[in-house]
Amino acid sequence: MPSSNHLSAPVYRVRVWDLPTRWFHWLLASAVLAAWLSQGDSRYVDIHVFVGYLFFGLLVFRLVWGIVGTQHACFRNLAFGGHALWRYLITLPTKQRQHFLGHNPAGSWAIFGILGLGLVIAVSGILTLGGENQQGPVAGIFNFAQGETFHLVHKVTAWIMLALIAVHISGVIIASVLHRENLIRAMVTGVKQCPTEQISVASQAPVALVLLVVVIISAGGYFRGYLTATPDQPYLPFVGTTLPSNALWQEECDDCHLAYHPSLLPKRSWEKLLATQQEHFEENLGLAPEMIATLRTFALNQSAETAPTKTAWKIYRTTPASESPLRITETPYWQQRHQRLPEEVWKHSEVKSKANCDACHFDAPQGTFEASAMMVK
Amino acid sequence: MQKKHLVIAGIALLPLVNPPLVYATTAVEQLLVEYRSQGATEFTVEAGKELFFKEFVDAKSTQVRQCTTCHTDDLRQPGKHAKTGKRIDPLAPSVNPKSLMEIKNINKWLKRNCEWTIGRECTAQEKGDVLTFMQSQ
Ligand code: HEC
Ligand code: HEC
Ligand code: HEC
Repeated sequence: MPSSNHLSAPVYRVRVWDLPTRWFHWLLASAVLAAWLSQGDSRYVDIHVFVGYLFFGLLVFRLVWGIVGTQHACFRNLAFGGHALWRYLITLPTKQRQHFLGHNPAGSWAIFGILGLGLVIAVSGILTLGGENQQGPVAGIFNFAQGETFHLVHKVTAWIMLALIAVHISGVIIASVLHRENLIRAMVTGVKQCPTEQISVASQAPVALVLLVVVIISAGGYFRGYLTATPDQPYLPFVGTTLPSNALWQEECDDCHLAYHPSLLPKRSWEKLLATQQEHFEENLGLAPEMIATLRTFALNQSAETAPTKTAWKIYRTTPASESPLRITETPYWQQRHQRLPEEVWKHSEVKSKANCDACHFDAPQGTFEASAMMVK
Repeated sequence: MQKKHLVIAGIALLPLVNPPLVYATTAVEQLLVEYRSQGATEFTVEAGKELFFKEFVDAKSTQVRQCTTCHTDDLRQPGKHAKTGKRIDPLAPSVNPKSLMEIKNINKWLKRNCEWTIGRECTAQEKGDVLTFMQSQ
């Protein structure tokens, strides 16, 4: 149906983007935004991980849709060579600029770049979760050191992705201005205006609906634990390994503060701490020598060196060998992880001391200190 | 006849059904006997209460320290460790059946807490008074 603009030239409205492609686009954009907002803070790791799975799932969907989807979503119609890209770019500032109903060559390249890089980010994220946190589908396959390497890859590729998205958005704005068409609105409505009559693509609404339902059901399934959580029984998205315990340790070290698991300090620290039990932070523990011997054996066998958890491994790795801190709260890793918490937090009546780990960490008594298992009042 | 015997036997055995209370008294009773043998005289709730609420000034930090600093003014309420913030179960045996149960535990904590609060170990008299006070709560 031709309609008229203010110059009365005929304009045809053509549906270029089917519904699944549009919803994919905006879901992916939201996933990237949510992933960015939830990164860097251990409290939100479960959100970050869910968004990562969502991101991965969306990419896989788009790969399939690139093969079976409608005309302008199909990869074979987006496969512009380097030559076509170059031609498009150099003619862009001139009157000879080429107009494309679907994606132009630059947009197509951005799509392949984002999809490819996105897959690297998603996979490196799953590998980081498996290696560093020993959680998720590949837990137990990689060690902490490998997890740290994956984490680096994950971070670097995420930054490159941000740069690529910046280029993509600038490209959309530049092309919108030069071609006098609102490409952002087109990605919302699916419709572009054309001087000649063109065939609209099918809407494919049922596919879009299935996509949305799958996303909603997965989110509900992933976060359902929060619905049944109570203040006494908080929900722990990640459950760590069960660390060895010792009855005497539990009895003698759990009264004034929680019995810190020995994996939170290196051997040399425990040696020193138990040897100075008469002046234990202004308290005289006054424990009998045979008790100290038992406690010492347990502590040395389960110290940070044994690295049963990410926390233990990081504490051991980052504490200089020349130092034997008597406080977990003096280790560089602890300080680095808590440096962003505001000073008032430590003065809160239910916290009182930095060493009062279980005021914030739900799994402090177990010694695992998993991600997303802490909150600040 | 038969039945009456059973009832009497049952009543006689009743205290064993609730061992915590029995043991709590035994532990403190035993300690009080021990303190008396060390020269202490009569123990009173009042003297124990006075000590429990008395303010001491720590020489090093110049802070005021009391038993109530960690155990609060109400022994039936949970306390909070002055330095670490950890919850401490109520000391009153009436609400915490585990309190004052074990001689070993009482000795350990009286030694530690007197040293921290008063700056020295408590005397047998003080220990007996404070336990008598705590037991009445
Ligand atoms: C009588 C009370 C008491 C007992 C019992 C006790 N501690 Fe402590 N401990 C303290 C106090 C007080 C601090 C200082 C806490 C603070 O500054 O918040 C402390 C601090 C610590 C810290 C440093 C915490 C940090 O990171 O700042 C470690 C480690 C520790 N204790 C280990 C032990 C071990 C192991 C045992 C058992 C052998 C034990 N404690 C038993 C009172 C006690
Ligand atoms: C006032 C609340 C609070 C206290 C007390 C506290 N933490 Fe934390 N902790 C947090 C918060 C919040 C985070 C997440 C910070 C972030 O990622 O920016 C965190 C992060 C951590 C992490 C990193 C977890 C990960 O996988 O990234 C470890 C390990 C940890 N804390 C250990 C401890 C230990 C051990 C203690 C006690 C000695 C302690 N914390 C005391 C609030 C607290
Ligand atoms: C610095 C904190 C602190 C102060 C001050 C303190 N206590 Fe305690 N007290 C504790 C802790 C911690 C326990 C162990 C509680 C437990 O076992 O759950 C305890 C336990 C006890 C117990 C053993 C209770 C039992 O379970 O059998 C007695 C008795 C006791 N305190 C008496 C005193 C007296 C008397 C004073 C004052 C002279 C005092 N406390 C001051 C922290 C303190």
